[in-house]
Amino acid sequence: MSVGQKSNWELIKNGMFGENTIFRMAISLCPSIAVTNGMKNGVSLGVAVVFVQTMVNVTVSLLRKFIHPKIRIPIFMLIIAGYVTIIDLLMATYARPIYKEIGLYIQIIVAFASIFARAEVFASKNKVWSSVCDGFGMGVGFLLAMLVISFFRELLGKGELFGYSLIAGNPLLIMILPAGGFLAVGLLMGFFNWIDMRFFGGKGASGV
Amino acid sequence: MTSMDMVKITFNLVVIYVIGGLIMAFVYAKTSPIMFIKAKEEKEAALKLMMPEADKIAVLGDWEPHEKHAEYYAARTCGEIKITQVKDEKTGEMKDEEECLNPSDIGYIVEGFGKGYSSYIHVLASVDKNFIVQKISVLGHGETPGLGDEIEKDYFLSQFKGRSAENLVVIKGETPDKIQAITGATISSRAVTEDGVKNGVHMLKKELSGEVQG
Repeated sequence: MSVGQKSNWELIKNGMFGENTIFRMAISLCPSIAVTNGMKNGVSLGVAVVFVQTMVNVTVSLLRKFIHPKIRIPIFMLIIAGYVTIIDLLMATYARPIYKEIGLYIQIIVAFASIFARAEVFASKNKVWSSVCDGFGMGVGFLLAMLVISFFRELLGKGELFGYSLIAGNPLLIMILPAGGFLAVGLLMGFFNWIDMRFFGGKGASGV
Repeated sequence: MTSMDMVKITFNLVVIYVIGGLIMAFVYAKTSPIMFIKAKEEKEAALKLMMPEADKIAVLGDWEPHEKHAEYYAARTCGEIKITQVKDEKTGEMKDEEECLNPSDIGYIVEGFGKGYSSYIHVLASVDKNFIVQKISVLGHGETPGLGDEIEKDYFLSQFKGRSAENLVVIKGETPDKIQAITGATISSRAVTEDGVKNGVHMLKKELSGEVQG
């Protein structure tokens, strides 16, 4: 990742499309399969990730001069786990109705490869504002991926969107089971790769 | 790497971890008392919902499923409610205090824990005097969103009504008298049914069999 050559908007766009967590980098696939069987789940997790990803990037970027390179990994881990713990505690205390809905998603963010990867690859080497844009873009990219995957899975697997019935008849049950997650992610990844090759000559879907 | 470097690295790691730990401890110290009170209120509200027809829910004792503290309760109706005026010590105002006379047990409620896929599932189950399950509810868990968290849904919970302890068994697929597992979440279904509710009902039976005649 080069420093300083990209504008903030390009950084955000890069996170959303060029280096999309799921479809381009193929990391954090575990939650993308576990949590995308309904749009409500997918969106909840996506929003939580946008927030934590941005905050972790800011913190790592602020602390980058104080972190010895040899021990950066345990320190990134502490920052991520610390944010998740604090958000979890604050929500459980002051926002219980929301906590009941998305508390589970907050907790599983601890083990997110994508957040870790951005701290390592980008935030530990770049200024704060660039890191904010990178983290936000990556988070939104993840959110978009979750939206697309969960749209197809919920529609095909349950005949519903956001819990509202749309299609009558027997849905394809496999789409809401883990196996359907692999199918959906694989086919969509292939589809985006095809778009990339067909229209952008393999330079990245954003054309950057 | 010189020994100076080693000292530096160790110092760096220790300082950052101590700061991180302090921040978390501070947040925990501030939030945990409020969280504790809110959780208690929620539990009381949940208990009331388990047996809406009861006038009073009284703690009978406690037990330790999975080395966690859990209680069991008697749901009672009052033969007669006596209202007496009592002076509130703090405000000095008079207020009504209800006293339950000749209470009779209409059922029992047990709190339990089941070991699920990724967490202990906290459940409540109410039974009538013959230990037939009336209702169950899930108070808390940390199961996989989208799969395991279906245990909170009514289509799963409503299956428990009218089941005796022997029929609290999870079956994959349709079943007329047992509990049907949630697709993709057999472990969580089993934890609720067999580990949580069934063990709780068995415990109630054992503890209360002396008190119940016919």
